Amino acid sequence: MLLSIEPDGPVPIYQQVRDRIVEAIADGQLPAGSGLPATRQLAVDLGINFHTVNKAYDLLRQEGLLRIGRKSGTVVQRDAASGPPQPGWEQDWAGRLRTLLAEATAQGLPADDIIRHCQAALSGFAFPAAPAGAGAAEGARA
Amino acid sequence: MTPAALTGYVTVPLFGALICMAPAVTRPALPFGVRVPPAHASAAVIRRERRTYYWRSAAVAVCCAATAIIFWGAGSWWLPRIILLLEAAADVTCFRLARKKISAVKTAEGWFAGFRQTVVADTSWRTQPEPFPVRWLIPAIAVIAATTVIGVTRYPHLPAHLATGLATPGSRRVPISPASAFAMVISQLYVTGIWTGLLALIYRSRPEIDPADPAASLRGYRRLLHACTRAALTMLALVDLTFLLAALQRWQLYNLHGASATLLLLPAAAGVLILIAVAMRAGRNWARPAGSGQRPSRAAAAGRDDDRFWKAGLAYINRTDPAIVVTARVGVGWTLNLGNPAAWLIIAVIIATVAGLAMIRIAAGM
Repeated sequence: MLLSIEPDGPVPIYQQVRDRIVEAIADGQLPAGSGLPATRQLAVDLGINFHTVNKAYDLLRQEGLLRIGRKSGTVVQRDAASGPPQPGWEQDWAGRLRTLLAEATAQGLPADDIIRHCQAALSGFAFPAAPAGAGAAEGARA
Repeated sequence: MTPAALTGYVTVPLFGALICMAPAVTRPALPFGVRVPPAHASAAVIRRERRTYYWRSAAVAVCCAATAIIFWGAGSWWLPRIILLLEAAADVTCFRLARKKISAVKTAEGWFAGFRQTVVADTSWRTQPEPFPVRWLIPAIAVIAATTVIGVTRYPHLPAHLATGLATPGSRRVPISPASAFAMVISQLYVTGIWTGLLALIYRSRPEIDPADPAASLRGYRRLLHACTRAALTMLALVDLTFLLAALQRWQLYNLHGASATLLLLPAAAGVLILIAVAMRAGRNWARPAGSGQRPSRAAAAGRDDDRFWKAGLAYINRTDPAIVVTARVGVGWTLNLGNPAAWLIIAVIIATVAGLAMIRIAAGM
């Protein structure tokens, strides 16, 4: 997985590292069980302080996306195929999404364009394939 | 002429030619150690300064080579070293002049304005690391083992006094002791240990990834690393072979003197030439990968403008970067991050071992 950050950009570096890893999990580059470099190694490769990487990893661990073990190292804990999220997570996320959509609306982006952007983003993500039975049932309904 | 003088005189034109060709193996984003965005990689000032540098450094190389030829007959060992020092100083001046002019235009025209300055890392570089080519160490270890076995067999038959250095007729003679008899084995172990340690550090160092084309640049870096490490380990085996040949001369298994003693240095010289040839070829392929002739768009991502951390474009000093070893900006190779205390520790270890070996020599009366 290629992890790209802008060290002099307006977004905090730990947030950029966290966001890039979440995106890689969503688009299937980092499926559940795949390993990530140790904090010091990733810090060396990005030329940043290892505390910054530690902060990003810790954030992802709290969100249930990473598992950090002494022997197993840093491993992706879940992906799109791992089932529904933890209870309460969706409500928090909906709140953040509302703010993000409000930004676009406040900047004057029409609703159609907002939906188009959402669809374009979703089309790049790796959703789990529907079970064979469910697909056949949907086809029969259609 | 002594082997030391002969080696010195041959090094002068070789060094001049290498320095003259350095821009050919430098990546397009780093002309003369100045970071430039992809859209300015072939700016007029860069083309002009590259041409001027070729002429200047070629003139320096020709003058120094002519001086070396004129004084060839003198045969002194220190004269080629002074010529080499002056040549290096003149080449650094040519480099700095070009760098200064490119930097001035880059700042005045704001080349990085509007570019996203990004840093890219490939996580698979760490999760599936490249294995160190241990098998390529076997020749060096075999040569050391052979030297040790011959030395142990020969030791009871050695005279009371042994010649030092390449054991030519003019060499000083010292009383026999394990340190004086096995000095070449100690040197082999030292050179092999330090060189292998540095190569292992390079193998684990940060790869240089171009944000404009990360996948292609990482593939190129892998090829460069593989080629350079294998060539460096081949050179190591050949240097150890030179130590073996010198040890055989010291242990009086044959007696080469005068200019013919230079034959002992041939394996090491061949090793250095192999490393230079492989590094130049791999560096050129890395700097100019196939299909890179397209002019990049202005929207392309550029590497981070980190010129402020490169003193004179040659020394990297960045306290905020945890890396110990980084890719050098000029030519092909790696350098230490002098802003990291661990880099100074490595330098201290190398100096301490050199001092330790010198003390062993003094203690052995060599």
